[in-house]
Amino acid sequence: MSKIKHFGMVIDQERCIGCEACSLACEIENNSTEFWIKVETQGGKAKDTPAGKYQNLTLNYLPKLCNHCSNPPCVDVCPADALQKRDDGPVVLDQDLCTGCKACMKACPYDVIVFNEESNLAEKCNLCVHRIDEGLEPFCVICCEGQALHFGDLNDPTSEVSQLLLNRINFQLKPEMGTDPLIHYLPPKPKRKL
Amino acid sequence: MEEKSEIRTIRTACPQHCGIDCCGILAHVKGDRVIKLEPADFPDERDRRICLRGLSSLDITYHPDRLKYPMKRVGARGEGKFERISWDEAYDEIVKNFEKIAKEHGWRAIGWVLGGPGAGTTKFGAYLRIASLTQSTRVSAWGYGDAGLPCGSRIIIGHHFPYIHLFGEFWQRKWPEMLIIWGANPAEAMPLQTMRKVLDAKESGTYVVVIDPRFTVTASKADQFFGVKPGTDSALALGLMNVIFNFKLYNKDFVLEHTNGAYLVRTDTEMLLRGKDVGEKKPDAYIIWHDPSNTHKALRRKNVMEACLTGTYVINGIECKPVFQLLMDLASEYTPEKTSEITGVKKKNIIRLAEKIGTTKNVKFFTYMGFTRTYHGDISLRGLISVASITGHVTTSFSSGYMPPILNWKPFLKVIPDKPSFHRLGILSLYNAVIKGKPFPIKAAWFAFINFLNQCVDSNKIIKEFYPKLDFIVQTELFMTPSAKFADILLPVCSFLEFSDFCHHPYPYVQLQQKVINPLYESKSDATIISELADKLGFGDYFKGGEEALIDLIMDHHSLDNVSREILKKGASKLKSIPDGSNYRLGFGTPSGKIELYAEQLIEYGEALPVYLPPIEAPITPGDKKYPLTFIQGHSRFRTHSSFANVKSLLDMNPEPFVEINPIDAMARRIFDDDYVTVFNDRGKTTLKARISESVGPGVVNINEGWWIDQFKEGSVNHLTHDIINPVQEKVYEPNMHMNDVAVQIKRWEDSER
Repeated sequence: MSKIKHFGMVIDQERCIGCEACSLACEIENNSTEFWIKVETQGGKAKDTPAGKYQNLTLNYLPKLCNHCSNPPCVDVCPADALQKRDDGPVVLDQDLCTGCKACMKACPYDVIVFNEESNLAEKCNLCVHRIDEGLEPFCVICCEGQALHFGDLNDPTSEVSQLLLNRINFQLKPEMGTDPLIHYLPPKPKRKL
Repeated sequence: MEEKSEIRTIRTACPQHCGIDCCGILAHVKGDRVIKLEPADFPDERDRRICLRGLSSLDITYHPDRLKYPMKRVGARGEGKFERISWDEAYDEIVKNFEKIAKEHGWRAIGWVLGGPGAGTTKFGAYLRIASLTQSTRVSAWGYGDAGLPCGSRIIIGHHFPYIHLFGEFWQRKWPEMLIIWGANPAEAMPLQTMRKVLDAKESGTYVVVIDPRFTVTASKADQFFGVKPGTDSALALGLMNVIFNFKLYNKDFVLEHTNGAYLVRTDTEMLLRGKDVGEKKPDAYIIWHDPSNTHKALRRKNVMEACLTGTYVINGIECKPVFQLLMDLASEYTPEKTSEITGVKKKNIIRLAEKIGTTKNVKFFTYMGFTRTYHGDISLRGLISVASITGHVTTSFSSGYMPPILNWKPFLKVIPDKPSFHRLGILSLYNAVIKGKPFPIKAAWFAFINFLNQCVDSNKIIKEFYPKLDFIVQTELFMTPSAKFADILLPVCSFLEFSDFCHHPYPYVQLQQKVINPLYESKSDATIISELADKLGFGDYFKGGEEALIDLIMDHHSLDNVSREILKKGASKLKSIPDGSNYRLGFGTPSGKIELYAEQLIEYGEALPVYLPPIEAPITPGDKKYPLTFIQGHSRFRTHSSFANVKSLLDMNPEPFVEINPIDAMARRIFDDDYVTVFNDRGKTTLKARISESVGPGVVNINEGWWIDQFKEGSVNHLTHDIINPVQEKVYEPNMHMNDVAVQIKRWEDSER
């Protein structure tokens, strides 16, 4: 077992109730101007509406945040070296170095880097490194109503996140981009017949 | 970075009116300011939680629009013009007006209209205490949507709530094989205490069914969703029973032991056959038909399991049938075909669901208040419990787990034992008390933790007929709500971080809502306000020690002798546990001590059995009607009723009201997404955006309740609702407001009206 920790998240769509507590928790914790984690409706056109016809309907939610890619395109393109990939996983954006050139926003395949119109700098989820460095979980994880967000060490095979990935069907967003995100998703379980 | 040492943490609890969720909160305080709220620890770490609304609470505490000092109205009622006064001036004004009204009409004419205290207890208790001491009138707010369920529950099981019997074990994490969530949306209304457990249960294998008019977030998580037409639930219950009876899937032993199914009913008078009718020694004894001896006998504990559930018998020339037979006869009319026609649930699903309920060992039913917000909502609940009873899925005892909490309410309900206490009036009965002086006149009203005009039925009636008849109005509030604008004296109250209270939620815990910071501005807690007012009224002795003393008083019950305030300052405390393997009987509070499938006191209303009676207004059958759409009000995750409606961070996510309408109904009216539309009926109208959605079926429209009147382009949800009283509910408990039993029409908001 590797002693170096490699943090990641597993997001269980089966347990996500679309409440957006993660979005607000993140905004409060990081004092952000825009949401760094957004909950996408998978269903009808408008937010919170289902797909299908009445009685035969589906509705799921997909929280989206920085994917903390193993091969992060944003880090490669940042001319100011404001974006760094840490050894323990998180891709961290240093606001003191950011020049607001938006190159990272264009490079990111996930559209999860936002622009702060007040400071004219880029912002994104840093996986609450200020918390995980103290042994705490990201704030969105502890505020998740459905307990759909799981955080832990992907290098530790006994961790909850490793176990979930071992035992459940899972996926990453846009695998074709070769970014190998540390944010993994568990899809909703198929509906059982009565 | 802030210095860690400057920051201290205090454990408190969020007492919002989601009530039973009552999240434990760890408040981070720097100096005299709360800088952050986070979920606090619980003895069981799985219970650590906070919700979207709770997270936004600092936006309430530090909201720029907080009411900051007592005020006196200077403009017309509703105009919102006030001038600042001192607390002493406010109390003097109140005492002067109360004494004047009491002199003319008696103290009974002063009503304390108490809304939802949430998980708080003493803020509510303080009002009961002053009402009791002054022998004025307590206006109960159960009737604003929450009286239908207690009515049904009181009739069939004899308790105010059916929860412990229906899903108490579920709340204790004993997962059933199947969970039926009927007419409730815990994903948005009770995300933590209930929905999180629904997800846990499902993960462990529980099969989840949701029955609801709307495809809610909860429904999206279920294995099966059955869309039911609003107000037809008791027909669905009878349809399920029809199949259960036909396939003989009922639990005979359970029915014999725990229900009045075997009791004989006279076919002539419809009354239960009694000992006096057949010459038994005990004149009031219930009579059964005894199978082994093939004769009638007075019911005894010994012979209860030997009674017949079916058949027709003639005793002393009196024709009789067991209750169970009458229920079978009634259900026989509700074939799957007919039930499907009434309810909209597909025939095959009715049959399959009934089979599964009848053949699954452990089924739990979850429902809540919204289920019973139709005219006959009390019967809907009786139908649900009847289905659960005939199949043996009602919990009658705990073999392990936790005792239900009991609080020391006596010194609040009746302060001086040998003196009369307060008068009681249901909130829907308050309309007539104010407008017509019946059953007695109410001339002054004190509104506390209630946004009356916003949340109660028929806004136009309230504005035009109700408020003008009141001589004096006091309101305690955090904000200038639509209701607050009608107050004569407006008193600023604290947010929950600024005072202490005792919370007996979430089951199986009790918690302290611990004061975190001093009250902001000149605000005070309700308990403090009442304590100070009591002093002016000459009852100061009963409120010595203020809110802290009231907390000690309400906790003074032996069921809580394992907890102290010192323990609660550190965290939540578990209720007393029931020893493993014991048989803690939950019991039924009905006259017979059983589940009453047949309610003798309702014979005169034709409701002795859980009959299906159509909604009073909802136009559930298609046809050429003036108001062809059924209007219902769902709950939103962004609000707890009308609380949080003015919080900016939540408005950023959900900026304005909308009406959900099915594409078929929208297309017929040339309505497109985000168009402004007017929803109307003879009572009023409201204009808001349309959201075209399959989440409601054709013929049904939904607006989530709780938006403030000012947030609509015009009107509000309650400009459409009615104040019709159901006499059964009035007799059994108190009449409910039927927010989900309303007919409306919708049209595009035309340019000419702009």
